[in-house]
Amino acid sequence: MLELELDVQRDGFALNVRLALARGPTALVGPNGSGKSTLLRAILGAVPVQRGRIVLDEHTLLDTARGVSVPTEERRVAWVPQEYALFPHLTVLENVGFGVPGPTGRARAAAVMDQLGLAALRSRRPGALSGGERQKVALARALATEPRALLLDEPLAALDADTREATRALLAETLHRLAIPSLVVTHEMRDVLALGGPVVLIEAGHVRSTGTLDVFRASPPSEFARSLITRAVGGV
Amino acid sequence: MLMLAVLAVPLLALVLSTSPVDLVAGLRHPLALSALRLSLLTTTSSLSLTLLLGTPLAWWMARHPGPAERVAAILVQLPIVVPPAVSGLALLLAFGRRGLLGPVLEQAGWALPFTTAAVVLAELFVSAPFYIQSAATAFRGLDEDLLWAARSLGAGPARRFFRVVLPLSRPGIVSGAALSWARALGEFGATLMFAGNLQGRTQTLPLAIYSALETDLRPAKALSILLVAVALGVLGVLGRRTVLEAARARA
Repeated sequence: MLELELDVQRDGFALNVRLALARGPTALVGPNGSGKSTLLRAILGAVPVQRGRIVLDEHTLLDTARGVSVPTEERRVAWVPQEYALFPHLTVLENVGFGVPGPTGRARAAAVMDQLGLAALRSRRPGALSGGERQKVALARALATEPRALLLDEPLAALDADTREATRALLAETLHRLAIPSLVVTHEMRDVLALGGPVVLIEAGHVRSTGTLDVFRASPPSEFARSLITRAVGGV
Repeated sequence: MLMLAVLAVPLLALVLSTSPVDLVAGLRHPLALSALRLSLLTTTSSLSLTLLLGTPLAWWMARHPGPAERVAAILVQLPIVVPPAVSGLALLLAFGRRGLLGPVLEQAGWALPFTTAAVVLAELFVSAPFYIQSAATAFRGLDEDLLWAARSLGAGPARRFFRVVLPLSRPGIVSGAALSWARALGEFGATLMFAGNLQGRTQTLPLAIYSALETDLRPAKALSILLVAVALGVLGVLGRRTVLEAARARA
């Protein structure tokens, strides 16, 4: 369970969010500039939060009223940004093992790489990988640390259509198996459908709606939501 | 073409006027040997201090843009632009026996001027800016998301710095260090004023060349050729970046 109450003021933009995320994947949708990436970064601790609280399971990561702010490196919140932010100077194995130093960590990194079918790429560098491979490495790197929550910022957006199809299923399956609160930013209704979990719609820095996928589809809460759904139907 | 000739002829003259026999004899001259030793010692020391003290400063400047950083940037650039003689005088007025910090240093039992330590300080003063600018530029160019990714993976400040920041900034750090070392090796004016010209103690290679002019030209020529060879080596380290690019490197 990830509970959020966040008030972020940043360069004239205001984000004001109250959310409770259950275990498993939650899709985060909304127009460009509505604050999706900022929300992820606020949970990570990468943008200052003026007022708010973040509670992950029983751990308080942030409570501005009590002056609590756990540093990013101790939050155990994994983050996969849009361009993946893989370390270009490290091999795939070193990337995946970055968060888990030591022999046990190396074993865990190898296990996660096996699961995602990355074993053959272990000594390549990110520059020599395809988009889909990079995406998997970023996911493996995040999972190797055994995070308590996972933040994915448009994980499939940088992939070509074919790779996206294949990776989407793997991603959805992995996130369900993990059973930790996972927030997945996306612009594609197909991703939302594949994830199958609750949908959070955010517009202009505020949560417009939150609920199950079925309710989201049955009665789209806004014009943006309607277009997201119809675009998926029409765009096949 | 004329410009190229102006640049090339003096170097050509230097090489042509020195026979291999002269070169060997010049390098074996006592003046040359002691200057060579001293220059190696002092430039190694000043480069170590530059890396040790300059890296945190460069990091701070790259990470905290603002009024304080702009003041620091001016302070860092001044020694590059100010004539070395002025730097020498300033060092003397700061650390000399009657200088600003003279009494403090004297109480601590330190007399800097005209010692080998003074040579190191003069070299540090004039050469560190080249490294700091180059390192700060490299640090500024880092992708912020890589550092956040490292943090989200549990990496503390030291691990982030040594595993992510340093390796990714290596080109800027290496070329800055090479340039800074070359500047320290060639330091003349500030050293002469602040440290003097005492063989074995403060007489570095450039000062030895200057002193040899009055007695025996062979060590002067031999050392000059040596310094040109070293300079070519530094250009090799800089690779395709030009010296000016590396020197001026700043955001």
